[in-house]
Amino acid sequence: MIFAIIGIAIGIVVGLYLPITYSTNYSLYMSVAILACMDSVFGGVRASLENKFNTSIFISGFFGNAILAAFLAYIGDRLGVPLYYAAIFAFGSRLFQNFAIIRRFIFNKNDAT
Amino acid sequence: MKVKFKIYILIICTVFGLVLGVQIKQNNKNYSLVTLKSISSMQNEIKNTQKEIKNLKNMLDKKKVELKKYEQIIENKGSIVDVLEKELENMKMISGLEDVQGPGVFIIVEDNDDEIKIGDNPNYDIVHDIDVLYLINELKVAGAEAISVNGQRVLSNSEIKCGGPIIRINEHSLATPFVIKAIGDPKVLYAAVNAPNTYGNMLKEVYNIKIRTEISDNILIPRYLGDFKLEYAKPVKEGE
Repeated sequence: MIFAIIGIAIGIVVGLYLPITYSTNYSLYMSVAILACMDSVFGGVRASLENKFNTSIFISGFFGNAILAAFLAYIGDRLGVPLYYAAIFAFGSRLFQNFAIIRRFIFNKNDAT
Repeated sequence: MKVKFKIYILIICTVFGLVLGVQIKQNNKNYSLVTLKSISSMQNEIKNTQKEIKNLKNMLDKKKVELKKYEQIIENKGSIVDVLEKELENMKMISGLEDVQGPGVFIIVEDNDDEIKIGDNPNYDIVHDIDVLYLINELKVAGAEAISVNGQRVLSNSEIKCGGPIIRINEHSLATPFVIKAIGDPKVLYAAVNAPNTYGNMLKEVYNIKIRTEISDNILIPRYLGDFKLEYAKPVKEGE
């Protein structure tokens, strides 16, 4: 948990200062990809709390989900159907689920000690 | 083992935060709706500006060539006065302060002197100021370099005004027949008055006004005899 928060903080600071920019046209794809990444991170944190953490699954999920979500958004744009909703619903609901499980883990641990 | 997981999580979270940071920076306010129309108008604007730049560059090149010419003259120990005098002559020619001659046409325009039948409008038989004005305009379109009407040089400031039975040009009263002389490509000038759908052709065919156009190899057009007085206009200095 703490490592994840530290990592995100470092990343945001570095990202804000790095001179990387891209066309605003790709903003939507990036947002969906970020949602997928967030889901993977929560999943990873939960797995590590459950002691079921698998490195390859975590990393492949992180990049694979992001690419798939961005691709889905792109295809939706081409077809004129907002397909990125699918990614938002899937990752959004999983995000909350994972967060709920993480909360339970933390509070149960506190109760036990 | 668990520490290893945490390191992985740290690395991946750093990557995630990096993407997040870039996106936050990117989305900062400058995300506005761009319509196709605004894009195309912007493109037009850019195109126009580029054209303008090209024109300015052309002008710059021209001026550079001119400057080089002057420099060469000075190097060759030639007198700059000669060059300036030549230029002055040229300017006088252009502005109409010199007699000029060359190939061209002269057009004789006369009132229709057929007898007026009952119901005819005598106004249609008279050559009006506007007729002369239109004819001169068509000659200008055809590339006339110098134009005169009854010996009055027509310049940019020459008025062509109705004065009852006469017309006034350069504050001189002129009456029919009007002899319009023009220097330029004779064939083009001839066509500008006689080709179908021109104003001259219409005057001839519809209103039966007598128009004769003749081509001549040598037409003499006198200079402008009045004087220019600029009371209000002042030159704009370059670079101000």
